[in-house]
Amino acid sequence: MKRRNFLKTSGLASTAMLVPSFLQGFPTFGQSRTGKTLVVIQLSGGNDGLNTIVPYQNDWYYKLRPSLGIDKNQVLKISDDLGLNPALQGLRNLYDNGDLCILNSVGYPNPDRSHFRSMDIWHTASDSSEYLSTGWLGRYLDSNCLGCNNVHHALEVDDSLSLALKGKNRKGFAASKPQRLKRTIERPFLQALTQQQHDQEHENVAYLYKTLIDTQSSANYLFEKARVHDSIIDYPKSGLAKDLKQIAELMTADADIKVYYATLGGFDTHAFQERKHGRLLQEYSEAVTAFVKDLKQNNLFKDTLIMTFSEFGRRVEQNGSGGTDHGTANNVFLMGGQLKKAGFYNAAPNLADLDQGDLKYQIDFRNIYASILDNWLDTSAASILGSEFRGLDLVNP
Amino acid sequence: MTNQDKIKHLYWRAGFGLSLSELENRKNWSISKAVQTLLAEAKNPSPISVNENISINYDDLPMDEQEMSPIVKKGIAARLQNVMWIERMANPQHSPLLERMSLFWHGHFACIAKSPKTAVQQLNVIRQHALGNFKDLVLAIAKDPAMIRFLNNQQNKKNSPNENFARELMELFTIGRGNYTENDIKEAARAFTGWTSNRLGEFVFRYRQHDYGQKTFMGKTGDLDGEDIIDIILEKPETAQFICTKIYRYFVNHEVDKNRVRQLANQFYNSNYNIEQIMQSIFQSDWFYEAQNIGTKIKSPVELVAGMMRSIEVQFQSPLALLFVQKALGQMLYKPPSVAGWAGGKQWIDNSTLMLRLNLVAYLFQEAELNFRVKDEFESQRRGRAQRKIQATVDLSKITRKMKNLSDSEIIDELVNLLLARPNFSKKEFIQTNSSSYSKEDFIKRAVLQIMSLPEYQLC
Repeated sequence: MKRRNFLKTSGLASTAMLVPSFLQGFPTFGQSRTGKTLVVIQLSGGNDGLNTIVPYQNDWYYKLRPSLGIDKNQVLKISDDLGLNPALQGLRNLYDNGDLCILNSVGYPNPDRSHFRSMDIWHTASDSSEYLSTGWLGRYLDSNCLGCNNVHHALEVDDSLSLALKGKNRKGFAASKPQRLKRTIERPFLQALTQQQHDQEHENVAYLYKTLIDTQSSANYLFEKARVHDSIIDYPKSGLAKDLKQIAELMTADADIKVYYATLGGFDTHAFQERKHGRLLQEYSEAVTAFVKDLKQNNLFKDTLIMTFSEFGRRVEQNGSGGTDHGTANNVFLMGGQLKKAGFYNAAPNLADLDQGDLKYQIDFRNIYASILDNWLDTSAASILGSEFRGLDLVNP
Repeated sequence: MTNQDKIKHLYWRAGFGLSLSELENRKNWSISKAVQTLLAEAKNPSPISVNENISINYDDLPMDEQEMSPIVKKGIAARLQNVMWIERMANPQHSPLLERMSLFWHGHFACIAKSPKTAVQQLNVIRQHALGNFKDLVLAIAKDPAMIRFLNNQQNKKNSPNENFARELMELFTIGRGNYTENDIKEAARAFTGWTSNRLGEFVFRYRQHDYGQKTFMGKTGDLDGEDIIDIILEKPETAQFICTKIYRYFVNHEVDKNRVRQLANQFYNSNYNIEQIMQSIFQSDWFYEAQNIGTKIKSPVELVAGMMRSIEVQFQSPLALLFVQKALGQMLYKPPSVAGWAGGKQWIDNSTLMLRLNLVAYLFQEAELNFRVKDEFESQRRGRAQRKIQATVDLSKITRKMKNLSDSEIIDELVNLLLARPNFSKKEFIQTNSSSYSKEDFIKRAVLQIMSLPEYQLC
């Protein structure tokens, strides 16, 4: 056990911290299924919430969007005043089944209309005048939650890791495809490197070796887990669908992963929005539909919460190029088997009361995070977000 | 710690490491001579220019300059000025300390410019003052069109003040949180009203938009303007403390030694914010060369790449390859994540960036299979493709010429000495190159590949 020698002699942190969870004596596997799973889906570029959840009875909507407004007859009506974009047939079924909760007008004070900045605010859960270098899920990992010592406790299905999953001491894990990740660790030199004894080293050297060892272990683990189960559900061919299929297969294989993170981009629809936006929503809706079907078939949906967000919504009034510019508040979707309140959580946005042409937020997104942290991830939201953000009544704990 | 170890350390922190010939040349220099040379070379900074190099010979330029649309030109200019700057960091012909200081201030006055032209203009302002007086630097940044636009000072007018610049000026650029009030921000914003830029990208003072009324800022009252505000902020010793802490964390050690920083801050304050003097003090101090400061800093992606280019003469065939590496590793020049700059330290490292870093030299040698998709730009409409190759060449001919008559173990000693910043590397037996089956050239190449794949190579 030369490796253990290195870990023990490094003397910088307890051995338990340095050894990958696979080598630790106490069991962490198999606990995930007794708990719950969170899946975050990020829509990048700023999804146009008003053409996603359409206020089809609202004269302002049609007045401000003379050509971009979605015809009342095409809207998939799900309440007296709100309906879904026609591309969201799959979401309508989820809505009808009580598997979907829609929160309207979610945002934050003093909204920033830059993609980068607003996405950072959503990722770090900061105020708009505050700059944090850790993400909300990263700080969750830092909080010593149950299973957080496992390096793939939070998995982003991507080649690189988002700020949301970076904590101060712990980070989430990025892997687009387990096979692809495995290839990065396969060089014999790197394999041999971690088998060697290492002397007393500076903290940063130890940190790099630890990250390497963890990556090798988790890459092997994910590779094995990904081979356990092939989904029998027919997923569409899109990128998001592939990512969600990957997640469903890992969940079905009982992989020891609590949080999954996936992204669909392309929502920055400044021009010729109608077709592009419809296509994206359809991709989203079909992928999520297949995913939920898969989870239900494997009896996992009851323990799953899926949150979908975007960095901002878009300006109420359409622009001169058949598109919309960057806006503010937007809708957030929650799906899962333990929703407290299926359907609409709150009323439609008030289009008669705008802030310089943009929606005013009604719900701070950090209140949603707080509910998820407190009630779904069983940790203390106050220590991660600050005590001013109280949870909403969204999910059964 | 040998003299050579110290010289290497100095050049890693004040520059981007040393090439083989530089190391040979300087290894017996005294620290004082090396520091004097570094400072002298950094005088009279030459600006980086976008236009002079648009004809730079890269394979992927799609067409002649005359045929390009303005948008294509702008995109290419942005790429080229990124590449140009990294190449200066890597090139022994240019002052390493100037580029290093510029990179530091580039992260300190972090800004995302609207156009390549104003981005490079800002960098040239930084270069001009990088080792000059901090007050001149802050004032020049306050008048810099890219920063004015980035922090909304063009919207800061007498009747509708915008506080963004005033807030960041204090929170991030000078004195730090906890040393000013919300009211100070309001008053400072009033003082900077009318500081804006015109369409040509020049600073202009629009007196009609300026608030000439009485203001009270940090206890001082009068018809204060922007320059007065900067003077008052710099009269506070806390500003020297804030800047010296940042300098110490960047150049010396991420873990701050409070006493040392206090001494530096006193000196910085008493010298009226002379940057060159403070850097000289650090580089000539004994404590800068203590073991806990050597080879213990995690290289930023730009430091890593520039250092590789310098030591093994990497030539990227396409600017896109160099941009891919920066983006995938999380540090793109001219594109800091926010006005707060890059967090640095362990924040550079996660499982994805670490594997890319450890495999990077293998990718450059085309010795490992790359398959990596960087995150899409927010504006992009479809999923980007995965990068399958880094188009680059590595030139080991100088190293080979120098080392081919040495024994295998001497070669490894020499290469470890050249490539690793940490002294007393104890794992030499670990570099297994199985010499019998390789030519000397191949042996050297294998050894370079392995040493540069070590986690230790990530440190400087």
